Amino acid sequence: MSERVTSGMKLFRSIAAAKPKLVTGVPDGMLAEAIMLCEASADFPYIACAREEECIGVACGAAMAGERAVVMVQNAGLLNSLGAFATMGLRYGLPFVVVVTNRGALADPNGYDIEKREAFDAGVRPMARVFDFDASDLPDDLIPAAFKWAEAARKPVIIALEKRLGAEAAA
Amino acid sequence: MSELSNLPSQKDAIAAAIALYPARPFAVSDIGSQTGWLKAAGHDARNLYVSGPMGLATSVALGLAAVRPNEQVLAIAGDGALAMNLTSLATIAGAKPKNLSILLVDNRVYEFTASVPTPTRDLDWLAVGRAFFGAEQCMRLSDLTPERWAGVARPAMIVADIAAAPAKPPALGMTPAQIRLEFLKASRS
Repeated sequence: MSERVTSGMKLFRSIAAAKPKLVTGVPDGMLAEAIMLCEASADFPYIACAREEECIGVACGAAMAGERAVVMVQNAGLLNSLGAFATMGLRYGLPFVVVVTNRGALADPNGYDIEKREAFDAGVRPMARVFDFDASDLPDDLIPAAFKWAEAARKPVIIALEKRLGAEAAA
Repeated sequence: MSELSNLPSQKDAIAAAIALYPARPFAVSDIGSQTGWLKAAGHDARNLYVSGPMGLATSVALGLAAVRPNEQVLAIAGDGALAMNLTSLATIAGAKPKNLSILLVDNRVYEFTASVPTPTRDLDWLAVGRAFFGAEQCMRLSDLTPERWAGVARPAMIVADIAAAPAKPPALGMTPAQIRLEFLKASRS
């Protein structure tokens, strides 16, 4: 019997394939499984932050030393962190990867998420490169490819994951 | 007032904290006063001058400490700055890096902003630090010697009461690209 590979496992495996020196984040329901797998990994430390802005700082510290770092947060959390993202990540040209769950999609219509998504579109997309993906159908090479892009562009990159209509539930 | 005038300057407090280490630690300074006075205390390729936002130095230092576990890292934060990222103390206490310390320089004002008093000017920072790290890992700079510091477990916090400077520190004079490149080389050597 073959193992059912969940979206959280696929995200974790893609992160691990990029060989980061650290992963940091603040949980969201769509990220919970991947975060727990990262916490259990012996290949890199997972730093659980109290606030999302801290995660950007932690990733910047690793990237300043030339090491790969992955941030996992919800869209509202990244919105809390735009000052750090701009004045550290963009200003210093630091190539880290931010995995964001972009809540409030058509298939994810919680009333408390709608404005987060609208603020993400209005505030984040004009200042940073965002690549969008179906959270239930992630490419195996997603995070390695994101690092290659960020390192070529010399700036952080945002991978936005969302629930899509007709897709398998992603938590 | 006379008691305050006897306090060390920020520059001297930073130099004294770095001198506690047998080998030069990585020093990560917050934007503004800390960055200016760290450079004035002695430029070193192992200095990481953070450009913002205020208070992020402790988080940047945590990330650096995680990827350089065999090196000592000292985050330098002002009282106004650390109050903006107080949750980072909880994160650091939880992460338990064995190579990270925080120097809190407390002059009770926003030195870069016309010395407006900070909302934390009456806060007991020693008590705050001890709440997160314990009494054995949070002490005053004036109570430390290199020998005593060598025996302090990390993560640790040093509290330094300092005098508010009559003027801003000299300008940093480095671009973000220069800071990044110089620090990158130092962090890999």
